[in-house]
Amino acid sequence: MNILSIEHYLAIIGAIIVTVVAIIALKNDWKTPGLENQVFKVMLGLLALGGVLSFFAAIGVLGNFGGKA
Amino acid sequence: MAISVSQIPHGDPNVDQLYAETRDLRLNGFLLFMVSDLVLFSSIIFAYLYLRNSGQGWPPPGFSRLDVAFAAFNSVVLFGSGVTMHFALENWKHGNFIKFANWMVATIVLGAGFLSGQGYEYWTLYQKMHVSWSGSGIFGASFFTLTGMHGFHVFAGVIYLTVLLLQATNGKYTQHKHFGLTAGTLYWHFVDVIWVLLFSIFYLF
Repeated sequence: MNILSIEHYLAIIGAIIVTVVAIIALKNDWKTPGLENQVFKVMLGLLALGGVLSFFAAIGVLGNFGGKA
Repeated sequence: MAISVSQIPHGDPNVDQLYAETRDLRLNGFLLFMVSDLVLFSSIIFAYLYLRNSGQGWPPPGFSRLDVAFAAFNSVVLFGSGVTMHFALENWKHGNFIKFANWMVATIVLGAGFLSGQGYEYWTLYQKMHVSWSGSGIFGASFFTLTGMHGFHVFAGVIYLTVLLLQATNGKYTQHKHFGLTAGTLYWHFVDVIWVLLFSIFYLF
């Protein structure tokens, strides 16, 4: 297993964890009132989106996984 | 004469009243700061997209695409720091100060890790692809300007969070008076969200 493979698997596992945790946090905060919490909800939603994008990038669906610079 | 919370001695009931009266004002001010920062990023992102779509394909001839695998890994490090920061604030709100400190340290370490990854990527680009800010046309200039500006925000954020952690450790905030920590969390989420955009436009699409 080379460094590229480790990096690949860590990216996949990390992306899944980030996405799931961000969605759970969003669900838990869904009914909290106040301006700052509304902003937090938007941010958490976009964070989950970032996790999904990272996951698809890591499995090679988006971007060009494996294409070295 | 204007008076600030820090000018009122500890234990004075006016502290709570003044804090309650000015909290929304400070929150709005901080949100305005983030909007202004968003405008700054947006202007450069739109300039980049315009230049990219008016040229001869992307990446320009002579350049291969960026290393998406490493960028995905580094992005997960930064997004992970957003999650740990969220946990830090939640633990502070629930009075779990030890857990707050642990999550804050994790956030700072992940932020520093992202910066290290970005430094490694810059070094690789310069050494292997000979891409530089001034010598690689629009590609190098836009990439280094936008990611560099974002990297500077992350660097400032790491310093900011370290200061907040020290202040919290020294008793500056309480469970019910912690606007500084809320602002720090908002800033850190903002930095994460900007990276979602930059990661998409530079590496994915």
